[in-house]
Amino acid sequence: MKFIISSSLLLKSLQAIQGVINASNTLPILDDFLFDLKDSELTITSSDLETTMSVTIKPDKAEEPGSIAVPAKILVETLKTFGEIPVSFTMNESNLNVELSAGDGKYKLAGHKSDEYPKTPALENATSLELNGSVLSNAINKTIFATGNDELRMVLSGVFCELSSDDITFVATDAHKLVRYKRTDAHSEESASFVLPKKPLNILKGVLASQETPVKIEYNRTNAFFTFGNITLVCRLIDGKYPNYDAVIPKDNPNKLTIDRMSLLTSIRRVSIFANQSTHQIRFKISGKELILSAEDIDFAKESKDRLTCNYEGDDLEIGFNSKFLLEMLNNIDTEEVLIEMSAPNRAGILTPVGNENKDEDILMLVMPVMLNK
Amino acid sequence: MILSNRNIVHLDLDTFFVSVERLVNPSLAGRPVIIGGMSDRGVVATCSYEARKFGVSSAMPMKMARMLCRDAIFIRGDMELYSRYSHLVTEIIAERAPVFEKASVDEHYLDVTGMDRFFGVQKWCHELRQAIIQNTGLPISLGLSVNKTVSKIATGEAKPNGELQVPGDIVQPFLFPLSIRKIPGIGDKTYHLLRSMGVSTIGTLSHIPQEMMERVMGKNGIILWERANGIDTTPVQPYTESKSVSTETTFEQDTTDIIRMKEILVRMVEKLAFSLREQQKLTSCVTVRIRYSNFDTHTIQQQLPYTAFDHILIPVVKNLFDKVYQRRMLIRLIGVRFSKLVPGNQQINMFENSEEMINLYQAMDRMKHKYGDKVVGRAVASS
Repeated sequence: MKFIISSSLLLKSLQAIQGVINASNTLPILDDFLFDLKDSELTITSSDLETTMSVTIKPDKAEEPGSIAVPAKILVETLKTFGEIPVSFTMNESNLNVELSAGDGKYKLAGHKSDEYPKTPALENATSLELNGSVLSNAINKTIFATGNDELRMVLSGVFCELSSDDITFVATDAHKLVRYKRTDAHSEESASFVLPKKPLNILKGVLASQETPVKIEYNRTNAFFTFGNITLVCRLIDGKYPNYDAVIPKDNPNKLTIDRMSLLTSIRRVSIFANQSTHQIRFKISGKELILSAEDIDFAKESKDRLTCNYEGDDLEIGFNSKFLLEMLNNIDTEEVLIEMSAPNRAGILTPVGNENKDEDILMLVMPVMLNK
Repeated sequence: MILSNRNIVHLDLDTFFVSVERLVNPSLAGRPVIIGGMSDRGVVATCSYEARKFGVSSAMPMKMARMLCRDAIFIRGDMELYSRYSHLVTEIIAERAPVFEKASVDEHYLDVTGMDRFFGVQKWCHELRQAIIQNTGLPISLGLSVNKTVSKIATGEAKPNGELQVPGDIVQPFLFPLSIRKIPGIGDKTYHLLRSMGVSTIGTLSHIPQEMMERVMGKNGIILWERANGIDTTPVQPYTESKSVSTETTFEQDTTDIIRMKEILVRMVEKLAFSLREQQKLTSCVTVRIRYSNFDTHTIQQQLPYTAFDHILIPVVKNLFDKVYQRRMLIRLIGVRFSKLVPGNQQINMFENSEEMINLYQAMDRMKHKYGDKVVGRAVASS
């Protein structure tokens, strides 16, 4: 097969799908891109067996359809060195020679047989819906930091998607913190739920960031398919039952703290420098209009205390948190002020943005405290 | 910090494990003693000077040691006992020294720079060494010089049971005639490489151009070259004792009653986990230890995320006990240890810890705090 293509277009397309390829693979074929030329359209695919991503582009000139797997790293590295020039490829399927020539240069490498490349899962019995690209990337951005890393509870390592006719909800939790991101401007005709793994979501986040394009999402029992522009991504869903997150969100929270987000963020960051560096625990002591943050590390004789004025309704309260969780959450809220609702030192604290300009967006973050001695 | 005029002390307990065994069992004195793994595949951890005469050395396969010195007394070794004595030594040093580093179970570095303004450093060191010998009964050697490397080499020369001072102006005359073997960090491989280059003494090594050392051995070559010239700027790293809580029980009669032993383990975990919560600490390493009736002691440990919850620790301890109790032999002792402690409170898990459970923990802890830790506990362990 032969084609001529602009180096920058090819490089851009390859970089969009390159995230799927792992740094080290047990199967050597997984180090490759699959090139497939058909009807003067070139489809390039990357895969790690769980996730498959492909991009379709139109070469300037193409002849002899065919397909072959090409080592990804060496190809991308070579293309990076070219400016904007046409590159002509000649790929021989029988002796697996791959030749590219650009300007006065000529480069040769060995490809692999295309039939060794993992097959893309077929789209069967799928249901579909459409979502705005920026909505999806925002949902991923706001939730993915809360996912877990426990290999014994795979289901918590992904983002839970709950579709209904009224809204779409994304949930992530590691059992210590939780984020629920709800969009009322998106909905699905059929109610369904599934868990998407972290890796493809991170890739989507990266590729979608610059695009407002609509994303078509199709799903069946085992896979989810994302199609937007000239890109398709297929990923295997995480199998297993997602825990009942709704049950752990306390409904009755009489103690309400409203505070400037940035000043809380900087204060926590400062106070937690003095906390133990393994547990990162800090203490909130709230009374009247005053929030006192404190941390200590007895082993190194470190201690810190800071005071913030806040708006508080409720009883005096002393509660302990892992400061890392609070920082991650506050960093993922955009509003000027946040509301922290609490009921008791042993029960979850709920963080929500105050005065969110986007009326279609409903964000709720939950953080479990640490058990303080009475 | 002024690096040129430092006073660094290196203290090294002579044949530490053997010395401890001799304290416990004085009849071992003057006889060849070898400590290490008991199987044929085990290696020698340490051996007494009497055994060294027969050519036995540490890290040698046990089988070879047996052939070289058939009449030696072979001991399996009890790390728990050794670390207890090591701790005693550390305590004595901590009481007197301004800055010290515990480099291993039997080695300490002290930075006593500036102390000669008030005391004679050598006199002070001598008194420290005498105090350790008198209080613990363990022989210890001491080297005093300008940096860690030279002090350590000096200790090696002072052994057994001696002390040696190498002031800054005689560092090179002291080092140069010695074998390159004496430099810490030169193992078999480097030694053979250097010997093949015709280098046998530290003096010769110090005259090799630095660039050549780098070419042959990379970064390590530069370090070795510096060491050979008596240069070593590494500071004495202050030492913080890694803390742990532990408990153990010796049975009045040796037993194989697994159910009973597991009940005791549950009670031990309850007691230790409560003390962790009282001190606002969390553990991330659990160790279970058993001793068979023939005094063979076995330990097993497991890492886990920081916790101080009984209900997380109990299954871990039971599981470790099942793993370590391999032989159908009577047991005389069982013990549990929680180590790698960090200050902090238990993080509550939103799915696994109900509010009732947390309240129960807190209510039980309040009772234990007020009336003692035996007042309430799991029924399974109450008999």
